[in-house]
Amino acid sequence: MFVRFLSFLLLLLCSAVTLCAQVETPIISGGVQFLSTTAGGVTTFNPLIAPVVSIPIGDRFLIESRGTFDEFIFRENGTSGPYHAHTFSSVDYLQLDFIANSHVTIVVGDFLTPFNIYNERIGPVWIRNLADSPLIAGIGTRTSGSSEGGMVRGVAVSRKNWQITYAAYFSALVNASQFGAGRSAGERVAIFVPSTRLEVGMSYQRFLQHQHLNSWGGYLVWEPRSAPLELRAEYAHTRGGQGYWIEGAYRLSQFRGPGSWLGRLQAVARVEQFYLGTPSPDDVLPGADTQKVNLGLNYYLPHNLRVNGSYGRQFSSLGNSNIWNVGVTYRFLFPLLPGGSK
Amino acid sequence: MNRTRVFRVALMILLLAILTAVAKNAASQQQATTPKPAAAKAATNESEEGEKRFETNCGRCHRPPEALSPGEARTVVRQMRVRANLTAEDERLILKYLAP
Repeated sequence: MFVRFLSFLLLLLCSAVTLCAQVETPIISGGVQFLSTTAGGVTTFNPLIAPVVSIPIGDRFLIESRGTFDEFIFRENGTSGPYHAHTFSSVDYLQLDFIANSHVTIVVGDFLTPFNIYNERIGPVWIRNLADSPLIAGIGTRTSGSSEGGMVRGVAVSRKNWQITYAAYFSALVNASQFGAGRSAGERVAIFVPSTRLEVGMSYQRFLQHQHLNSWGGYLVWEPRSAPLELRAEYAHTRGGQGYWIEGAYRLSQFRGPGSWLGRLQAVARVEQFYLGTPSPDDVLPGADTQKVNLGLNYYLPHNLRVNGSYGRQFSSLGNSNIWNVGVTYRFLFPLLPGGSK
Repeated sequence: MNRTRVFRVALMILLLAILTAVAKNAASQQQATTPKPAAAKAATNESEEGEKRFETNCGRCHRPPEALSPGEARTVVRQMRVRANLTAEDERLILKYLAP
């Protein structure tokens, strides 16, 4: 893992050295997390680092990449015995962006599949409100969460009171160890109302290998200006099943301000349901109808540090379980090269 | 407690929170229609407009990063232009806010 991590950084560093003279500064950002999970009485630990490297080239190009390096620490017999650790590393995306104009950006390479919003926008550990991914996160993103090929995206129409955004992509079948993706094509279209910060969108994907299948979904994101409330919801359907999640997060910053001890606290709740369809071996979906409730508390410390804890109760014919998560997350941003901050 | 009951209670709490926020949002929008000459003048400032654009777009997922140099800010905003579908005007104004 260490060699892969070094190779990954070295490759990007070499590119950045040639570009250090330009006005934009290549940066490395991302998050570090330590998470303790107790599910069904079995406790595991999961330290993780997910660096994002961004290298601008000229006025219109950007190379960006995110890797995830994590370790899964567990006891041999679940609740007893010596500890063991498995390490994992993956390149989540590695893409070249060309910003043609306000309406069109062309992306080539390995990119996060833009199906609904969780995978692309709120999945990173330093953004997500709850440690657990939704039950339907595998719909439309298949197993790797990324696609290999090309994507066109941007703002189709922009008016003072509303915007229509879009993303359309094609992915080829790639079996490389770090860049696995399935052959598929899809799109996402959304309407965004800036005055109320309301966004409603829909996604469609046609999976084009083995058994051809359709996945489609819709989402809603609303952050009213009058209250520190985040409301997010997704629905997704595919042959393997369908489901939804609704998540609300309320930060107590209305009491004594966002910097006060109370204002740094955020309460989160998510309810979700999944209904099993016709499962296929490639699915990363629950094996039975499942309902889940998650309640969490996040505490935002200074310097981009966050402590988070959550309790979840999952109901399924395969067995009910309690899931406890306690973790700490740090979000970082540095210039990629020493002395690169200017 | 059976699972249907737990689920219904959680769903009811979430819906109650949503309805409360909807009501508060409607009330604040009514207040916003009242003319405020001072606020309208201040909004002409590009940096303030950039802050608004940041809150409207970027602030939906994360808070502003701490202390960015102008070069770092340009890279961050370009990255967000792709990820968050910002327009060229959004990019320009948010840069005014992050790196005045």
